[in-house]
Amino acid sequence: MRDELLKAGRWAVEQARGNGVEAEAYVLHSEDLTIEVRDGQVDTLKQAEEIGLGIRVFQGNRMGFSFTTDLNQQAVRETIQRALEGARYTADDKYNGLPGAVSSYPEMATYDEEIEKTDLETKVEMARRIETEAKKHDARVKIVESSGYEDSRYSVAVVNSRGTEAFQKGAFCGLYISLMAEENGEMQTGFSVEARLNIKELDPARVGKEAARNAVRILGAKGAPSRPLPCILEPYVMTSFLGVLSNSFSADSVQKGKSTLKGKLGQVIASGQVTLVDDGTYEKGIASFPFDGEGWPSQRTVLIQQGELKGFLYDSYTARKDKTASTGNGMRGSFRGLPSVGTTNLYLQPGAAAPETLWQDIERGLYVTEVMGMHTANPISGDFSLGASGIMIEKGKLTYPVRGVTVAGNLFDFLRDIEGIGSDLRFFGGTGSPTVRVKSLSIGGE
Amino acid sequence: MLEHQVITRVIKEAMKKGGDFAEVYVEEKDLTGIVCEDNQIEKVNSGRESGAGIRVVSNGNTAYAYTNDLSEEGLLKTASIVAHAASGTIRDLNIDLKQRRSELELPFLILPEQFSFEKKVKALLDANTAARGVDAEIKQVTVSLADLHKRFQVANSLGQLVEDEIVRTRFVVNAVAARESIIQTGFEAVGGVLGWELLNEVDVEQMARQAAKRAVQMLDARPAPVGRMPVVMACTAGGTMVHEACGHGLEADLVQKGLSVYAGKIGQEVASRTVSVIDDSSLAKKNGTLRFDDEGSPGKKNILIDKGVLKGYMHDRLTAQKDGVEPTGNGRRESYQHKPIPRMTNTYIAPGENDPEAIIRDTPHGLLVKKMGGGQVNTTTGDFVFDVQEGYIIKNGEVQYPVRGATLTGNGPEVLKNIDMVGNDLGFAIGTCGKDGQGVPVSDAQPTIRIKSITVGGTGSGDGPEIRRFV
Repeated sequence: MRDELLKAGRWAVEQARGNGVEAEAYVLHSEDLTIEVRDGQVDTLKQAEEIGLGIRVFQGNRMGFSFTTDLNQQAVRETIQRALEGARYTADDKYNGLPGAVSSYPEMATYDEEIEKTDLETKVEMARRIETEAKKHDARVKIVESSGYEDSRYSVAVVNSRGTEAFQKGAFCGLYISLMAEENGEMQTGFSVEARLNIKELDPARVGKEAARNAVRILGAKGAPSRPLPCILEPYVMTSFLGVLSNSFSADSVQKGKSTLKGKLGQVIASGQVTLVDDGTYEKGIASFPFDGEGWPSQRTVLIQQGELKGFLYDSYTARKDKTASTGNGMRGSFRGLPSVGTTNLYLQPGAAAPETLWQDIERGLYVTEVMGMHTANPISGDFSLGASGIMIEKGKLTYPVRGVTVAGNLFDFLRDIEGIGSDLRFFGGTGSPTVRVKSLSIGGE
Repeated sequence: MLEHQVITRVIKEAMKKGGDFAEVYVEEKDLTGIVCEDNQIEKVNSGRESGAGIRVVSNGNTAYAYTNDLSEEGLLKTASIVAHAASGTIRDLNIDLKQRRSELELPFLILPEQFSFEKKVKALLDANTAARGVDAEIKQVTVSLADLHKRFQVANSLGQLVEDEIVRTRFVVNAVAARESIIQTGFEAVGGVLGWELLNEVDVEQMARQAAKRAVQMLDARPAPVGRMPVVMACTAGGTMVHEACGHGLEADLVQKGLSVYAGKIGQEVASRTVSVIDDSSLAKKNGTLRFDDEGSPGKKNILIDKGVLKGYMHDRLTAQKDGVEPTGNGRRESYQHKPIPRMTNTYIAPGENDPEAIIRDTPHGLLVKKMGGGQVNTTTGDFVFDVQEGYIIKNGEVQYPVRGATLTGNGPEVLKNIDMVGNDLGFAIGTCGKDGQGVPVSDAQPTIRIKSITVGGTGSGDGPEIRRFV
């Protein structure tokens, strides 16, 4: 695959250069497998193979882009023509351009051969096991909506006219389950998910049990009165907050006036307990890769250190604008789009506290286990108001389950109000967080 | 597009080891996206993508595979992957492909490829200028447009064949307003299944000014109240509420898996008598409009709730077969990379009899929602949330001051029974609906309605007049 993708990339770049432009080709080949099981039966088996090429051209300072899923020479020539046509209409922007040539990349183990070697039956068995473990864990688990195994194996080549030629193979695998627990006619949902670079680290029993526990613990939930309360956020809930917050650390947002962190480097923006890091080289990180979507090397970037704003995330365009170097965050979802600033493995550094000690002195508070509607939070202003469920904390103890309430606040106030961080760092995809305690959020209910 | 003999051979290959049903879906699409930000045309992306998805269903279980190798060899290889997962009796298939007809005509007047880059760029720049002209407090404007021209074939082992094309266009404005350390945003989006005649029907400059005005106005908004109260939702709010509160729960796959609060309730009263809910893919030019769904079933109007009584669910081919009903034309997929599942198209609450202004006058206190944002639902419990983009406090039947940062949360069946007034107007909004990792374009709509009581989740403590600032 290495030779095939690099060859396609080189050929496209050479063809484009024939038109007097600088060019970059991004070539992706991927194979995906999804096995979904219900009631012990394989409900859906999905296998996929995909290939595509995206080409970026720079006619002076004007940038054009096009992509194709057909890699034959005629189709690639047409794709280059479309990119050239686009470049006639984009802005003459002096910050546009290719990153410089890169000759070496960090050595990283991103491809576990065992994922490919493990046979289908073993993978089906893992998916089945999640389901049986969930049902075994608690008799109130009545319906499994879906339970599955998935993996993805992919190869990426980035070639540009400055001399960059990057290639790497990657793979990851994962397990998931979503289920329903029922008691006295009331139903509650629970889910769990796990993604790993190594197939040996997948643990179907843990995934099944966790989903069952998540559903059962909310059974019998009631409403709660409206009032501000101290809150404990589970790692999963906190990672979805980090996802929204990450926008403010993008140099692109900062430069365009879409981040309130503009001009605040070196200032205290969070509680002293907060250290936030983006690390494209994080060992075992699902988003770890030697280079980004522009072929630039990945690195570890500290965004907040003990409450102080330390840095932003850059791709080559935003770096040029700020006269700095790219942090290797020119991310690409696929060959279908241009690179833009995004996160790799983004995580909140864990503290020393065992998570259960975080609420032992809370007189009355909410342990938040689920939020709904995170995509409606405003990534610029940081205002959020979400549906939530959780468990009431009374006199330092988790008591009864609560649902149908809202939690509202502002993410930047939230960062300053963090009072405690647990030791239990956990990743969900590329974002990780420990359990977090926040001084107060507005709870809306009865 | 593929020759019919090739399609037939591929279907036969997929069923060579048995199976009850096989289908080939092929698409070729041309896409363009242009983004104007920071006062300049920042990104132009035009691409071409083609691929095929093949599935075999045996005993209700699905094997699905896709590829973008459309050579006969590539397709047969993909078909043999799904064949290995199929089981059952091997039948001697005789497939005679017959083109299906739809009564719905979709005229595409100005195709994406007929509308020049110059014209698209001009529309973006005009909207950008209009939005920035609204107020000096507008600090950033992002205007983007996208179009799609897709040709597709779907054929199955029953001999049904559909060959069709679809054109989509979309135009979106996002404005950011800032005053000292307060930042607020406003957005407007239009689009649907039509060509660039969209720009003859919509004044994009007007739309851009509206987005900018909302962003500026929200700088002055007070924190939204918190607690239970009456809420009036104007028709301009869009239909996020109906989409979340009952739409998803009426999708037959969720119903059949026992994951919907509406399961087993056909013929029962699930909403107030003032409420009728309809999903209609045959409406012209809307974002969820379809001549055929992605399994080749014709699009049509489906009455889901009639004057409060549940009439039926939204089906794809598999769920319809299981319930012994006809497919309703709701089998949709994001692309050749996905298997079809039941999805909404254009979903709305039917207009009623009340004068919209009288509804507000009749409300002693509460929240008026003029524009909604996104939402989410847990179909099992029926609990949903959605975001208020533009809200106002109502006092003594009069609209008072704007509020921001509100979310409404409620339970679908409870809220539907709590709707006590329904206006004689109707307003649509467009969106992309996500389910099982697939995003499909939809529209939703509602008249002005009043919900007697629902939880509003803001940060304000009642009537506090202060503006909260963050640094």
